[in-house]
Amino acid sequence: MRTIPIIVGILLILAATFAAEQSSAGTSPELAAMLDAKDKDGKPIITQEQRTYFNGLNDNLKELLNQVVQKKVVTRPEHLGLLLALQLRPQKMELVLQNNCILCHSDSETQSSEDLFTLGSDSHHSPPSHMNLKEIVEDTHFRRGLSCAGCHGGDPTAAFGHAFVKEWPESGRQANREWIVQFCARCHSDPTFMHQFNPALPTDQLAKFKSSPHGLTLLEKHDSRAPQCISCHGVHGIRPAKDPQSKVYAQRVPETCGACHANATTMAGFTRADGSPLPTTQLAEYRTSVHGRALLERGDLGAPACNTCHGNHAASPPGVAGVSRSCSLCHSANASLFDGSKHKQAFDSHNWPECGKCHGDHAIAKTHDSMLSSAPGALCGDCHRQYAKDDPKCIPTADYFHQTITRMDEAQTRFGAISEKLAAKGLDVEPINNQLTDLTDNLKKSRTYVHSFSRDTFQQVALPGEEAIQRTDTLVDKAHEEYKYRQVGLAASIALIGFLILAIYLKLRQLEK
Amino acid sequence: MEEQTRIASDSKTSRRDFLDLLLGATILGWLASIAYPVIRYLKPLPQSGTTGPTRLTREETAKLEQNKFVIVPVSGQRVIVLQSQDQKLLAFSAKCTHEGCTVSYLPGQSIIWCPCHDGRYDLNGRVLSGPPPQPLPEYAVQRQPDGGIVISEGRA
Amino acid sequence: MGWYYLGGITMFFFIVQVVTGVLLLMYFQPGEATAYESIRFLTTKVPFGWLIRSVHSWSAHLMIISLVLHMFSTMMLKAYRPPRELTWVSGYILFLLTLGFGFSGYLLPWNKLAFFATTVGTNIVRSVPLIGDWLLQVLRGGQDVTINTLYRFFAAHVVILPLAFVGVISLHLLFIQRQGMALPISAKVAPRGMKFFPSFALRDVLLWLACLMLLVTLAVFLPYGPGIPGMDWELGSKADAMAPAYAGIKPEWYFLWEYQLLKEFPPHFFGLEGPQVCLLLITVLLAIWAIIPWLDQRARRDKPSPAFSDFGWAAILFLTYLTLMGWDIGASGPGNDLALVHRSARVCASWTLVAGAVVIAIRYWRFEHRWFVLTGAALLQMALHGFVGVSYLLAGVISVVIAAIAITASYFMRSRADEKGGI
Repeated sequence: MRTIPIIVGILLILAATFAAEQSSAGTSPELAAMLDAKDKDGKPIITQEQRTYFNGLNDNLKELLNQVVQKKVVTRPEHLGLLLALQLRPQKMELVLQNNCILCHSDSETQSSEDLFTLGSDSHHSPPSHMNLKEIVEDTHFRRGLSCAGCHGGDPTAAFGHAFVKEWPESGRQANREWIVQFCARCHSDPTFMHQFNPALPTDQLAKFKSSPHGLTLLEKHDSRAPQCISCHGVHGIRPAKDPQSKVYAQRVPETCGACHANATTMAGFTRADGSPLPTTQLAEYRTSVHGRALLERGDLGAPACNTCHGNHAASPPGVAGVSRSCSLCHSANASLFDGSKHKQAFDSHNWPECGKCHGDHAIAKTHDSMLSSAPGALCGDCHRQYAKDDPKCIPTADYFHQTITRMDEAQTRFGAISEKLAAKGLDVEPINNQLTDLTDNLKKSRTYVHSFSRDTFQQVALPGEEAIQRTDTLVDKAHEEYKYRQVGLAASIALIGFLILAIYLKLRQLEK
Repeated sequence: MEEQTRIASDSKTSRRDFLDLLLGATILGWLASIAYPVIRYLKPLPQSGTTGPTRLTREETAKLEQNKFVIVPVSGQRVIVLQSQDQKLLAFSAKCTHEGCTVSYLPGQSIIWCPCHDGRYDLNGRVLSGPPPQPLPEYAVQRQPDGGIVISEGRA
Repeated sequence: MGWYYLGGITMFFFIVQVVTGVLLLMYFQPGEATAYESIRFLTTKVPFGWLIRSVHSWSAHLMIISLVLHMFSTMMLKAYRPPRELTWVSGYILFLLTLGFGFSGYLLPWNKLAFFATTVGTNIVRSVPLIGDWLLQVLRGGQDVTINTLYRFFAAHVVILPLAFVGVISLHLLFIQRQGMALPISAKVAPRGMKFFPSFALRDVLLWLACLMLLVTLAVFLPYGPGIPGMDWELGSKADAMAPAYAGIKPEWYFLWEYQLLKEFPPHFFGLEGPQVCLLLITVLLAIWAIIPWLDQRARRDKPSPAFSDFGWAAILFLTYLTLMGWDIGASGPGNDLALVHRSARVCASWTLVAGAVVIAIRYWRFEHRWFVLTGAALLQMALHGFVGVSYLLAGVISVVIAAIAITASYFMRSRADEKGGI
């Protein structure tokens, strides 16, 4: 009998807990009404998807929604639906709900069409196109708490606050773009300030930019056609460079640069240092180049984009004398061999760019061993005939390089095919493949060591390569012998079995007679 | 008549003898053809125990002492075995994760270096700089009581 | 009479398996770090190691082929008639044991292909009602396929199964030795007796030698098998539980029919799980197969029983169709997955129907059989599935129902005819 009060007590506690749960997760009547609102045809305005998203929100966010509805910042179910349709993660939703700029500018009732932020896919920022809410919430600044007011000024918590910051030019923003670099630099050139957000981020972008052709054109020639920060990074919806959707993500850099540099109209009037017009074929050339294919087609993020050689904010990458020396960033062995070669002086005396002279710049094709030949039409031969007057020492060296490398390349292909065939026959090809890797390594090295343009240096790696050919050849012969041995063995054993069958058959006939 | 029968039976006997001889010889030959591979198969190899971990040969160990690193094949894959400045033995796949060139060890700078595109790895196999997209897989390496060095797949 | 030698040939391949198996055992080291490596060492470094492994693999497949032929020829010749019921049952057990050998041996090289195939294969056990999970764990030595599974399969492959096999095969041979070879029903008088030795034994030896010739030739020229999926033993790379499983993991060819049948079942089937129903069906079919000597009442009375020949052929066609589909015959070329499945079904059905027509024609004219209900049902199912596009199961149900009606009708008609005949 004593159990009854206990049960009643437990039930009461449960009921109380349940009620508390209800009240904390509850929705205000206004919000509830908005969620259940129906349009003229009696269809719910808040879609099932939006509804599900709302139900999944945590209590804090539901409470924030209650507040914005109560404060009459969000007044219509359509507007609420727009916010829910963003399907934001909790932290971002919290930022949006605390940002009156976004809440107000996404309400089509209160905003004229050119001030309206929408969900449209058009991400272009300038009016009359609408600003894309999805872009804004992905913005790296927004995510770190720097929202509209951070740049534009005003008080985001006030109902109406359009007091712009003093650096923000209220008029003439479009015609003269010089102010933008200073505007971004307010924060980005301040190491102490930037350190709070990303200690690894450099703060010398403005200084570098000033030294670059882009910076010089903009800031000294006052030519606002020149790009500044937002030309490459975008404006609303700036993403970190590591984000694949960022305009400055390695694979998207060529396209971003090409937006201007591949456009003849935009580039009209710009000249090189020597006065010749700037070409606009770089992007198309780059796409066909070995680097462009590696980056854009094979997705090798280690392959260089425009900025790898031309620098990000400065004119050339850090630690590199000029763009023509940027190849050495990756092709260091080739570069140092070249620097120690006779060609270095010769090229310098002609004032030729070093690597680019033979390999090209934007349209760098995959090198081919035939470049080394002395035959007419081949690089070495043609150049030497024109500039080095067929130096009797050089031509044989070029031919030696060409023949040696061709021999190694041919051996590599041949042995590769042989190894596969032997493996299918069940032979042990591991030693062959080991030697083959050795050969491949030495072939690669030989192609590099060509850049010493010295027979002796080249032989340091070419001779081991030739030895590898010899060793592979011996192993292949051995494998072929082994296979022959197997076949002979098989033939012998089959012959023996055949004899045995014959003998038994004769015996059987004899026995059965 | 009797003579003829005897000759006939004689030739019959000799044919039977010949057949038995042939049969015996082929059976022996056949058995030998089976026994030969089996005997060869069962004879232990001079360097038995090649299964499992790979043991560095004397030349390879000498090379390791001299250059502080050596490239050895381990079950078909190239592996770089190196001796760090604090005399620790380390082993990694020698295949650069970028374009597959064979890496080498720069003892002065304590880095693993790929000459093809100047990719650099630290002594944990992690990428320090350059285009390689992934770290180098590590191999387990052990110095045995007799001084021999063995490498096996999988992290130490 | 040539069919009588198939048992001996199977026996020969089994002996080869024992000999080469023992030889392989001398180098094989079961273990995480050694199983794959020791097989690799064996095939690349040990003199004639490649030959021993190749012969072992080839002989395994040839043994299964000759065993299946032996079983079906026994079935067609009704050699299971009394007093030989137990010979049939012991042979049937040997068949199951051989499948066990194939399944357990496949994992031992511990390569990627075997690892994933075993994971998929053992997973079927989960569908066994009540004890499924327990059975799976016993089989795998844990929740997943690990090196513990290899130890278990190794023990099964080299100790448990061989012991069982030797026991059962002794019984099988004892029965044959006691009861002699069965005569076909049509043979009214026993043919002129052939002495077991030397006549029969030496002929057997001749055949065995021919098989050995075939075996070593195949082993030398195709050391990794003929390159057909499910009949390929190239070592490849080592098993890696972390590696993603790849599409198109298939079992060995003799399990393909089962694999395909499982695929034809939907995940849920009248409140039961699809695989469970499929497993039940396979069990029932296998059980029927085991008790055929008692089901075939006409053969028990030494009367011709074309109905059971028909049953045998229906089984062959049923298995052929599933195997061909499991092999994805005809599933190449453009089109989405569904279109490819349909095309494959059509091509497989065409081939099997042609084969079925040939079988019916031969039985009709050569053996003057007049009983084709079950073969017809099997072919009808293929036609419905392959050409009309009815789902495999529905086609099966329709065919079974039609066959049942046909059998009942013919039974009634016959009994009425018997009444009229007044016999």
